This record gives sequence, C-alpha cells and structure tokens, in this order.
Amino acid sequence: MSKPTIPNLLSLRGTRGGERGRGRSRVRGRGGGASRVAPGTEPGDASSHTLAHDATIQGTDTDAAVSRLSAVHLGYLQDPFANLFVQPGPSGSSARRLPIINRGTYTRTTAIDKLVDIFLSQTEGQERQIISLGAGTDTRSLRLFSVSTSSRQQQPVQNLTYHEIDFPDIRARKLRIVRGSPQLRNVLSDPVEHTSAATTQQGNDATQAPQDNDGGEAVTTTITYWQSKSIQSPSSQLFFHGLDLRHLAGGKNVSSIPHLRGDVPTLLISECCLCYLSTPEATAVISHFITAISENLGIIIYEPIKPDDPFGHMMISNLAARGITMPTLDVFRQPADQEARLRLAGFAAVRQMTVDDIWERWIDENEKERVDGLEGLDEVEEWKLLAGHYIVAWGWKGDRFNLDA
Amino acid sequence: MSDLDKAIETLRNCRPIPEAQVREICHKARELLIEDGNVVTVSAPVTICGDIHGQFHDLMELFRVGGQVPDTNYLFMGDFVDRGFYSLESFLLLLCLKVRYPDRMTLIRGNHESRQITTVYGFYDECLRKYGSANVWRYCCDIFDYLALGAIVLGASYTLPPPASPDIELEVRNANNSIMSNFQRHPNSINKIKEQDQSRQDEMMATNGAGEGSGSSPGKTGPPGSGASGYSSGSVGNPAGAVLCVHGGLSPLIDTVDKIRLLDRKQEVPHEGAMCDLLWSDPDEIDGWGLSPRGAGFLFGADIVKVFNHRNDLSLIARAHQLVMEGFKEMFDASIVTVWSAPNYCYRCGNVAAILELFEDNSGLGILSRSNGDANRSDGGPRGVLMENELAAPHLGPARRYRVFQAAPQDSRGMPAKKPVADYFL
Repeated sequence: MSKPTIPNLLSLRGTRGGERGRGRSRVRGRGGGASRVAPGTEPGDASSHTLAHDATIQGTDTDAAVSRLSAVHLGYLQDPFANLFVQPGPSGSSARRLPIINRGTYTRTTAIDKLVDIFLSQTEGQERQIISLGAGTDTRSLRLFSVSTSSRQQQPVQNLTYHEIDFPDIRARKLRIVRGSPQLRNVLSDPVEHTSAATTQQGNDATQAPQDNDGGEAVTTTITYWQSKSIQSPSSQLFFHGLDLRHLAGGKNVSSIPHLRGDVPTLLISECCLCYLSTPEATAVISHFITAISENLGIIIYEPIKPDDPFGHMMISNLAARGITMPTLDVFRQPADQEARLRLAGFAAVRQMTVDDIWERWIDENEKERVDGLEGLDEVEEWKLLAGHYIVAWGWKGDRFNLDA
Repeated sequence: MSDLDKAIETLRNCRPIPEAQVREICHKARELLIEDGNVVTVSAPVTICGDIHGQFHDLMELFRVGGQVPDTNYLFMGDFVDRGFYSLESFLLLLCLKVRYPDRMTLIRGNHESRQITTVYGFYDECLRKYGSANVWRYCCDIFDYLALGAIVLGASYTLPPPASPDIELEVRNANNSIMSNFQRHPNSINKIKEQDQSRQDEMMATNGAGEGSGSSPGKTGPPGSGASGYSSGSVGNPAGAVLCVHGGLSPLIDTVDKIRLLDRKQEVPHEGAMCDLLWSDPDEIDGWGLSPRGAGFLFGADIVKVFNHRNDLSLIARAHQLVMEGFKEMFDASIVTVWSAPNYCYRCGNVAAILELFEDNSGLGILSRSNGDANRSDGGPRGVLMENELAAPHLGPARRYRVFQAAPQDSRGMPAKKPVADYFL
C-alpha cells in the first residue's frame, strides 16, 4: 500500500525563467517509507472517564501535533521536538497534511514565535513568565529551553518560568513522553511530580472534569504538576499543571497555580484553547490571570473568527460534525470583537491580524519564496478564505514591555 | 445492456469498476482522444462546466440541474480529480460518457490532470486505497496526456431562447430553474456590433474572394433586421463570436489560437511554457502580464484578454481554475468568465457552483463568419495590427445562462465510506 516516496508537487517543476524570479527549491518531504495515514486516527490517550467532549477537544491537540510534524517534515518549520508527540502511523510514518494546512501551521507558529521573541527580548535580564493555556503537546517551551532548536536563538532563554496548563490526562501523557525521550535528556532535567493543594470553587478530584452540580462551595482540591529545569539554562524552569481550566473560572477562592508569580512580566498564550470554553468561562480565565499578575501582563490569542459568511457557516457545521464547538466564536465574531474583548479585559494596548494578513505582512519576500518553494500552494483563493478566518489578537498592559510588532 | 452501459450504471452509483474494465475504457478513450486536435471544436448549444474535483455527489447534482447526457451537450474544463473523495468515480464516469456519447461530451485538461499534482492532492492515494495498486492511477494519467488543451465553441446565439426577451444578455437561474436575475444587453452595443459584423463580413469577402467556401453571400445572411432600427424578436437567433474554453487562461507565448494547435500536448503538464500557462494562469486586475502567486502560469490583465479576443475573433473566454464563491465571475467587460462547478469546495469553502449554458444560433451565420483561427487570422492580414478604436468595440458576446447550484444534500450521498472531514487550523 505504501508508495516509496510522496512526490513533491514542485519536484519536477524547474526553475522558471529569470524574469520569473522564483528560485527552485529542492527541499523534499521526508524520504522513504512515508505514506499517508488518515488524519485523526491517532488513538490518543484519553482515559475512559474523560467526558466525550473533552476527549474531542483534546483530540484537536493531536490534530495540531500532527499538523506541526507535517510542516516540520516538509521543511516549513524547524522543530526537533515535533516528532515526540505524534504516534507513528501503521507503517512507521506520520500524516502528511495538504499544503494549505502546512502553510497555516507555519504562519500561525511563526506569528506567535515572533510575539514571544519580542516579549523575551524586551524582558531580557529580568525574571519573566510565559503561561500557555491548553499547552498540550506544544513544543515551544522545549524550543526556548535549548540551543539548537530555534534558528533565531543564539542561546537558551534565561530566567524564564514557563507554565503549561492542560487537562490532567494530557499532563500525565506529556510527562511520560518527556521521561521516555532520550532526546530530551539534554534539554530538561528529570521531571519531578508534585501535588499541590489548591482551592477551587467546585469539583472534587482534579483529575476529573468538573461535575455538573451547582455546588458553589469552595472545596480544597489538588493540582498535580510536574516541574523540570532547562539543562542548558538552569535559570529557566518548566511547570506543567494538570488542571481543567474551567476550575479557574470558578471565581473566588482560587488559590492559583503553583509557582505562578504575580510580580514578574508575564505573557499568557491561548493557541486555539479558550475558544472551546463557554464565553463566561473564557472571560473568567483571562480575569483570573489579570488578577493574579499584578501589572505587566501580555496576552496572545489565536482562534477562528468570522462565523457569519458562507465559509464560516460551513466551518461551524463541519466542526460540529466532529463534535467540536467553539462557544466564544458566537460572541467574538469579527476582528474588532477580539480587540474589544482584550480592551475590556484590561489590556491597554491591543492589536490583531488575520493569519492571511500575517502571511502577507510579516513573512518577508525571501521567506515567502522559500516556503512557496517547498510544496507549491495551488489555490490562492482557498488560502485567503481559510487563513482569513483565523486571527492572532494580542495585547499588553504595564510598562515593562510592549508587544508592538 | 452493453458492458459500457453497465459501467456507467455502476459509476453512477458511485461504485468503482474493476481494474480490467478501467483499462479497457481508457484504451477506447485514448483512441478517441488521440484524433482530437489540441483545440477541439464544439457547436452550440453546449453547457460549460468548471472544476469538479472528485465531488461525485455534486457532479450528480450538476447533471440534475443541467440535464443528463446525452440530452445535454457538455464541455468540462478540467480538474475532474483531486481534493474530493470520489475523484476516481467522477473522472471514470465522465470518461465513460465520453466514450459512449463522444459528440455530447467534451473533456479538456486541467492542471490537476497531472501525475505530479495528483500525488499531492489526493487522486493517487484514492486509487491506491480503492484498488490496492497504482495501476488505475497510471491508466488515468495516461489518458490525461491525451486530453485536449482547449475548445472553441462555435455557433452560439446572442439571444436566449424564447420566451426570454431577445434583449436579455445574461440570465441566472437557481437549481430549481427559477430565474434569479437577468441583465439586458446595452442597446447601443447591439447596433454597433451589427455594423461591425457587416463590415467584418465585407472584409472577409474582400480577403477570401466572394462565394466559394462561405456558402452564401453575406448580404443575404446578415443578421435578421440588421437594416432596421431594432433587431428581430423572432425565433431566429443571431450569431455571436466564438468562445474559447481553457482551464486556466492565456500565455505570453500564445497570441493566436492557432499557436495552441501547434503544441505537442501528449505529455505530462510541463512546469513552464505555453501548455503549462494555459492550464495554470489566472486573469487579474493588472496591466499586461504578472507573476502568479501559484508559482506556475501567469496573471494577465484586461488588455491582454481584449487584444487576444480581438485578434482571434473571440467574443468570450470561458475558463475555470479559480474558486469563486458565487459560482461564476465575469471580468473585463464580460470578455472572460470563470466558471466554478464544485459547490462547497473541499467540503469546506461554503461556495455555490455554476454551469454556463450557451444556445444554438439558428441563423446559420455563426460557424462561417467566425472560424476564428482556422483561417486568415494570423497571416499578417488586416488584423495584424490592432488600433485603439478597434479595441473599443468588442465582439457581441453570446447570451449566457448560468445555473447556480449548491452542494448535494448530505442524505443524497448514499453510502459514503466516511463522512467527509475538512481540515482546519486547530
């Protein structure tokens, strides 16, 4: 069944005439043995007690991990850790995404990397924090903590505390992967697990999703987390907290996340995460961090927009068919709504760009040519449609840094 | 029932046919296609369709809306395969219909009818999945190499059939055959064109010599009512200029239709050059030629289209290749139109689809007066140099009826192996 290689769209396309100005790229997909497996077939690790919907949402993380690996294999992105979080397909290979998806993965990752870089360079020499919501299998912390990984980066990031937050099951799974990976022995110290008492408004065991009761009583529960240091830059630490974000939306009496500091410049990242919560929950999660971080806080939100046009209608119905709903999309429908959302939350400066805009304006011509040369994207209209329905909105407050890009 | 009819029946039910039969049908199709020139001639009436992309159930909807073969004469402008889940059934059905009703089905090549592209965008994988080997994919790719690069539609009327008012130039109907909108032809342009028509015929007479080959004298075959202040509203239509159908668009290397005829088409779509451009280029709001963001083919502006149409006695270029949310899009004073026939493209885009109907001109003028490219066009005759005032008077385009339709309802899809899942940036 498997073909020897996936031929590259451009592999037989030669250099155009000089006047075309398009260099040929010979970067190829992964060589032998690569064959496609159906997207989303990865079994994942969802435990039987996880609610079906949560499992579906967690599945989007698998989706993202597979997409990232596809983009890495084809040369869009550099990420030596992308392969850690994707289970190989039946023939030892992983899924290859269509060019349009690869370009989307590339553009969104590049955009968030750029904003993170700005944050890190402006807070150089200080202690600072990044909080990644629904971090799942994200590799950004690993890339920041090691030298060889980020092309822009001369050395591992100093003085950074990186908090990743995701469902308890995901926490456990990532821990197993981190512990089992020889590749990470030179990146992270052996993770240490802790259990911390935390107070949430409802719920019982932090390993379970909140029960649908109306008990408003504060209940002491536990957050299990693991902690590790960057081996190459011991002043930087990683925490992964197993926590259903909806617990943070409980409001009062939340004693917060272990080792989270309120007094250092902090960047909060939601890469397609808060959109899966109800709007009040999503708003409450942001409020939680606005309250917890005294002053200097930035935020980056990546999620879909524009549910009202034909493409948007179809997106909602297609995702619903997969069991995915994005409640906040009903409220933050347009770019301006996302801006208003961040202003209302208390961010003094707010910016936003669609993924389409980011591709046009943030990717320079040489890089565009390089990326275009990897596979060839045959349909520009389709790209504009799809990429125009995703937004990166960001904002900041305080005077220790700004995220002007 | 012949084997071919059985195959058509099987494919109509969206079921693959045995590999041996694919081979046989491809062999027959090859015998037919090898006889075709690079630019095939099609007589109106004809229904022109754009990209299908393996959306089999939507192709069935297209036939429901546009009429079944052989009742309706179809011209498909390529991109039968890739992206959708039923490229195999869609392409083989069209190919079987071509073999069964060769005069009622015209297939020209799209940029996806290519070995390279189908390995990236799905057709190759689909064949492997459905047959367990790449043989059927190879048979199909071999046929792709024989598909024509373009078609010329002759004898299209510039009026819609009655009961439509004869001054209606463009009509849009929905899938239930209800008129959604229509547009009248500008009266001035009609009279102007009639004058132009007359002078062109005089010119032809002068160039070719009277009589022989032209059948009847232009004086007698002039458009009905051309001497009067208006035009006839009778049942006899009027000839419109020829329509060039091509998947993508024009090429800077091609200034006449004749030059398309000279290409060696029986090969994989090259990565550059005239053949590549015809399948990859797009019209755009620019002057002249521009780089294509697709990385193949070119962008071309209104000036390019107008000069090309004038030089080749074309009134319209019909092409596909670009998703348009409304199903069709006319550009540059209706000198070029994009027809897109894959509704809800990739099960994701939410667009409607369209097909374009051109009608038969009954005056007998069309084919004779618009042989476009077959003779005396690129011989350095009076049309060798275009004057600005010539460009200002475009040919009268054919009357056009667009039928717009949506994706087939999910429950009409029978027994899909798997519900289509569209990818998003999650």
